[in-house]
Amino acid sequence: MTASGLQDSGVTSPTPVAPGPRARGRRPFGTTWVGWLFVLPGLLGLLVFIVVPMVASLVLGFSESTLLGGTRMTGLENFERLFADQQFITSIVVTTVFVVVYTPLNIAVALAVALWLRTRLAGSGWLRVVFLIPALSPMVANAAVFRLILQQDGAVNGLLATVGIAPVPWLSDGDWALVTVILVSVWQSFGYNMIIIGAGLDAVSPDVLAASRIDGAGPFRRLVSINLPLISPALFFTTVLTVIGAWQTFAQSYVITGGGPGNSTTTIMLYLYRTAFTYDQLGYASTIATILFLIIAAFTLVQVWGQKKWVHYD
Amino acid sequence: MAVGAFATVLAGCSAGSSGSEVPGMDGETVEMGTWIGGEADQAQWSAYVDAGEAADPEVSVSFSGPPIGDFYTKLPTVLRGSNAPCIVTLQNGQVGPYVSGLEPLEQYAEEAGVDFGDYNSAMIEQLSVDGQVYAIPYDAAPAVVYYNKEMFEAAGVPEPSIDWTTEDFLAAARATTRDGVWGFALGQGITPVTSLMSANGENYVSEDGVADLDDPNLVSRFQWYVDLATEEGVAKPLEASGGSFPDIDAFSTGQAAMSMNGLWDLPNEQEKLGEDVVGVATVPSDDGGSMGYVGGTGFAMTKSCGDKEAAFAAIKAITSAEAMQSVARSRATVVARPDSFDAWAETIGSQQTADVVRQLTENSFTTPTPSELSQLNTLITQYETNAFSGESSAQEVLQQVASALNQ
Repeated sequence: MTASGLQDSGVTSPTPVAPGPRARGRRPFGTTWVGWLFVLPGLLGLLVFIVVPMVASLVLGFSESTLLGGTRMTGLENFERLFADQQFITSIVVTTVFVVVYTPLNIAVALAVALWLRTRLAGSGWLRVVFLIPALSPMVANAAVFRLILQQDGAVNGLLATVGIAPVPWLSDGDWALVTVILVSVWQSFGYNMIIIGAGLDAVSPDVLAASRIDGAGPFRRLVSINLPLISPALFFTTVLTVIGAWQTFAQSYVITGGGPGNSTTTIMLYLYRTAFTYDQLGYASTIATILFLIIAAFTLVQVWGQKKWVHYD
Repeated sequence: MAVGAFATVLAGCSAGSSGSEVPGMDGETVEMGTWIGGEADQAQWSAYVDAGEAADPEVSVSFSGPPIGDFYTKLPTVLRGSNAPCIVTLQNGQVGPYVSGLEPLEQYAEEAGVDFGDYNSAMIEQLSVDGQVYAIPYDAAPAVVYYNKEMFEAAGVPEPSIDWTTEDFLAAARATTRDGVWGFALGQGITPVTSLMSANGENYVSEDGVADLDDPNLVSRFQWYVDLATEEGVAKPLEASGGSFPDIDAFSTGQAAMSMNGLWDLPNEQEKLGEDVVGVATVPSDDGGSMGYVGGTGFAMTKSCGDKEAAFAAIKAITSAEAMQSVARSRATVVARPDSFDAWAETIGSQQTADVVRQLTENSFTTPTPSELSQLNTLITQYETNAFSGESSAQEVLQQVASALNQ
């Protein structure tokens, strides 16, 4: 046996060796189980309220199921029906338009207001609260008010008439109804993003900004080359959450337009809800839920993958 | 009576929430699941239960439930549970989707000496599925036209006679459309058109519940309804909106001189506009002999009920002539027993209203309920906006709805 071999064994080493993590882990009832105990409530919650319903929904998607009539497995029938269902296809198109327009608009408005509130503006703290109020008030109540003021003879068209603009069919034309739903949604929810982006801007080092000023960078250059890269983690976070929320949008259409005129504002979630609870087709609704889950998962994964190219964590 | 003791029953609570050993019962008390949206609902159900308990002292009923907006959504889950209440209330046309959780009542009625012929025939028909009665009605309120007497007088229009026609209605709507007020307030969905069809003795639903959306009468009545806004200019065009009642809102706030709705809305309109201001007329028909489109609610027994004899005894007591006459006097409800109509007519105080309602209930038009009523109503509400904006005709809207239904 070589000297080094003896030393490696630790048996004859004269130097006391502090117990490492492995040594601690070998103790009966060591610290590991304590860790598991701490996360157990969360894990149980995740299992009971997230994993089990998701798996149940996935399985139901392959069945014909009603709330009272029981469940009959039907294989891929629901998926075949789904891709020939014009109402579902329309809801995909409507929701896609919503996501594509709403997300950048929401982030842009939130960013613009957050930047504006960082200028030497008197009462910017109060204004921040004011802009957050729509996000704190119930969507259903907000939507009901918007429905009233956006009617053909409502307050908004009355205001437009005073400056010579013809009445806009906010709620009676399909395209305008979708515009209405998008604008109300942005008004409702940009406050959250404004707070997060504002926090990101607050974290930008004043020294870096001062240095850029000395180097002659103007406001636009500072925004593009300093602020935006440094708040990119906040922008990434808000974008991911906004996209997920946009795919799941429901209350705005449900209350303001009821999905109409026609199907012009029927989002996937609204169609899913009606399929399940108005039309009592739980199996088919679960199939829609599965597709919606896959869409959201795909978009989120692409965003997470794409962040390497534009998000800076340093 | 025990009120509100089982508020969780219809909120999706698991079996045994009441501690009852017999499903649907709390000791000797029969549990009833219904909708309670506020004090008005609470008072209404209390009146019925109190009257039933007075009619048969051996009967004891408790009731609970969510607002009506959640009632039908939660009902399937409740009926699937092992401790569903013994009695549930259902509106006409709403029995079909829940029939697998309900008990047919013929046998119980026969044993208890209850004759379905004592009740409004249209209501019995609409609470039946495949010829079997699943609920006994407690009210039978016809669809009527409400009119604002002050607006009629200001426009120099005579108040509607009991045999007024579609042309008379149109003339009144034209005359009262003035000073920022619409002559008529349009309601959403298929019900207003169904009321118009029933008034004229027309039907678009087959006996097995299939809606024929190509029915020529349906198409022409729907187009006439749309034309009130687009051609005649006597009504505000309907716009996209979710879960609202533009007709009730417009009439009760003085924005329209007429609206069409069930008689259940009368107390609300009288409260908002004043008893002397609100008039009640028949839904107009082409020849003046309007037939009533009757609606209401009935008491059904659940399949899982652990004491069906007690449950049916409670239903029998609540829908007895004695109980109904008591409610007709205390609540001014148009009860479903023709033998109790006079009690209501005395209470309502208006001979004209009593005559209108008598005409409509005695000549109620029995029409089958579409098996896909909820879906049909939702789709009509969504698509009819296209007709009011001029984008589609009524026929095209019905074709779009039919296409969506077939998917």
